[in-house]
Amino acid sequence: MVAPALLFAGVMIVFPFGYAVWLSLCDVALGQPPRLNGGANYARLAGDADFWNGLRLTLWLYAISLVAQLVIGTWLGLLLARTRRARGIVRTILVSPFMLPPVVIGMMAIVILDPSFGIANWLLAQMGLPPRLWLSDPDTVILTVAAIDTWQWTPFVALIVMGGYLSLPGEVFEAAEVDGARGWQRFRRLTLPLLGPTLVTAAVLRSVDLLRFFDVIYITTQGGPGTASTTLNILAYRRGFEFFDIGYASAIMVTLSALVFGSVLVFARLRRAVTW
Amino acid sequence: MKRRELIGGALSLAAAPAFAQSGGFDWRRQDGQTITLMFNNHPWSQAMREMATEFTARTGIRARIEIFNEEQFRARLTTFMQGRSAELDVFMTLASREGPVFRKAGWYADLAPLLADPSLTAPDYDAADFAASIQGANVFERQVVAVPINQEGPLFYWRRDVFERLGIPEPRTLEDIPAAAAVIKAREPGMIPWAARGLRTAIPYAFVGFVNNLGGSVATPDGKPGMSQPGSVKAIEMYASLLKEYGPPGALNHTFTQVIELLGAGRVAMVHESSNEFANIMRFPNRANDLGVKILPPGKESGISKPAAIGWGIAISAHSRKQAAAWTFLQWATSKETQAKLVSAGVAPPRASVFKGPAFDAWTAELPIRRAWAEALVQLGREGSGVFQPPTDRIPEAREKIGDAVQQVVLGRATPAEAARMADEELAKIQ
Repeated sequence: MVAPALLFAGVMIVFPFGYAVWLSLCDVALGQPPRLNGGANYARLAGDADFWNGLRLTLWLYAISLVAQLVIGTWLGLLLARTRRARGIVRTILVSPFMLPPVVIGMMAIVILDPSFGIANWLLAQMGLPPRLWLSDPDTVILTVAAIDTWQWTPFVALIVMGGYLSLPGEVFEAAEVDGARGWQRFRRLTLPLLGPTLVTAAVLRSVDLLRFFDVIYITTQGGPGTASTTLNILAYRRGFEFFDIGYASAIMVTLSALVFGSVLVFARLRRAVTW
Repeated sequence: MKRRELIGGALSLAAAPAFAQSGGFDWRRQDGQTITLMFNNHPWSQAMREMATEFTARTGIRARIEIFNEEQFRARLTTFMQGRSAELDVFMTLASREGPVFRKAGWYADLAPLLADPSLTAPDYDAADFAASIQGANVFERQVVAVPINQEGPLFYWRRDVFERLGIPEPRTLEDIPAAAAVIKAREPGMIPWAARGLRTAIPYAFVGFVNNLGGSVATPDGKPGMSQPGSVKAIEMYASLLKEYGPPGALNHTFTQVIELLGAGRVAMVHESSNEFANIMRFPNRANDLGVKILPPGKESGISKPAAIGWGIAISAHSRKQAAAWTFLQWATSKETQAKLVSAGVAPPRASVFKGPAFDAWTAELPIRRAWAEALVQLGREGSGVFQPPTDRIPEAREKIGDAVQQVVLGRATPAEAARMADEELAKIQ
């Protein structure tokens, strides 16, 4: 009975990844068979300023987005769990951002954040605030992209948190209330520890997505201005499909995959630590 | 050997036995076949999709056309070709950009034997009718990798009404552009004085005209990177300063779509944008009446105007098993008859006979701006250059490095001279 599953895993997961690893160890000239180059692509990574810039941006985008989504998502999830009126409608509305295809999100962001035509700067002007360049300012473009992702995916975290909270045993909270636990104390000492496994699950799901984050960046900035939003995914895409440097692009992607696996392992350990 | 001789030599090659057919040419010889074609999103491609039924009616061949935006098109094409897929028969190509790499990879079928085979090529096809400079970009040594479908390059569009209202004379030299922009900025606050491509990879297409017109060159006479030459540094300074001082906010993420949108919406007074977008610009209200268009004005000192001039082509995949049917499509799509019809879609014909023909003449006579556009194209074809970077096989990478130099100056992270020096160092590494 295990054979079909093994076959599926082999064909659909092990082979493509193994092939990418193989390509990352080769010189790949278009139209020619790959030739092993003894890990030269990985040696190139070490001296490539664009790679280190991409790694820094990938980790920065990952960190700020993950923290923002977990914090806001937890707050929103608890708020939802305690709201009984119109919960169904609110849930439906919350689901809509992450149901939208990334290309729609990207196009919406371009239209809303366009410095000349966009509604974002119009709103700022109504409040007497100066206009912003949003996706064109190299110092803040990553924050803008993180904000777009946070807008799209925080409701997803909120729904997970709401589900986790509603499944917690009610008597524990009743006992805490009898003991006088209120507000922040109740949240910090009781709710947060009990939600630990739920939050780790949400963090794992968002981590994998955030490290793979490509489409919205590609649509909105193509990695620019300059290299200010050229994360490892964008860098690998450009090396592979625009510069036809497929071996090196594969080395970047294998390195990124190692990061994804590493983050999943860290969270798996964390999950064991917070399970009650 | 001169390029014309090379093309002539390539076109006169003997037919390969694999394609040899008995009897004369017959449009319906491949009747019943289905071919798959992949195009970049372009006015020509859109027109082809609408005209595909005419092709089928004439030849009996069904054409399955897929159109993607340029980045997706290149990614998909790379995947198909690297996998040696026989699924794809015909693809669009910009040989001046990717030709050396694709040819080295063996992706192009050689069209020279097909052109030379009278059983496969229509007697009235007349390959010599294509402008030599345009077809020349599709010939590598003796291999013909594609046939041209259009000619294009960036042109200078300006709002004649705004210039008249403010009493600004029409720019006669390149140096007149920043001067005009300064007046517009001071006296017409609601109007953006200037727009051009600011996205790193898109910059060189519009920028190389500034380099050439100001007496610079992307390469030195001995083929080394030439961005540090005085004229090239001046070009970086002028292009960056126009974007920074007079361009729209967020210009560094702009490519032709944003530039055309701004021009069409009447928000910008001057742009340097593709001739190819002419039909799109004309769809906006009033632009046919208030715009002027011409080739980028020459530099004051150099007196020359030499912007980018390119032409897309269509090629047959070397992995296609339906090359004869694919070649039938190429002939039909680039025939005099089809190209004459494409004029009304704003596709500038690469065939001299169509360009000088009655259909094109009648179309341009309908509006003064069409006539101006056609004259600018003639000048572009005569004086433009298909070279945007120093000699290298890694053309897209080289163009990105040139675009990066301009961006660094716009961002205030380098002076023009520093950016030029860094670009030359980077460009030298990939030569």
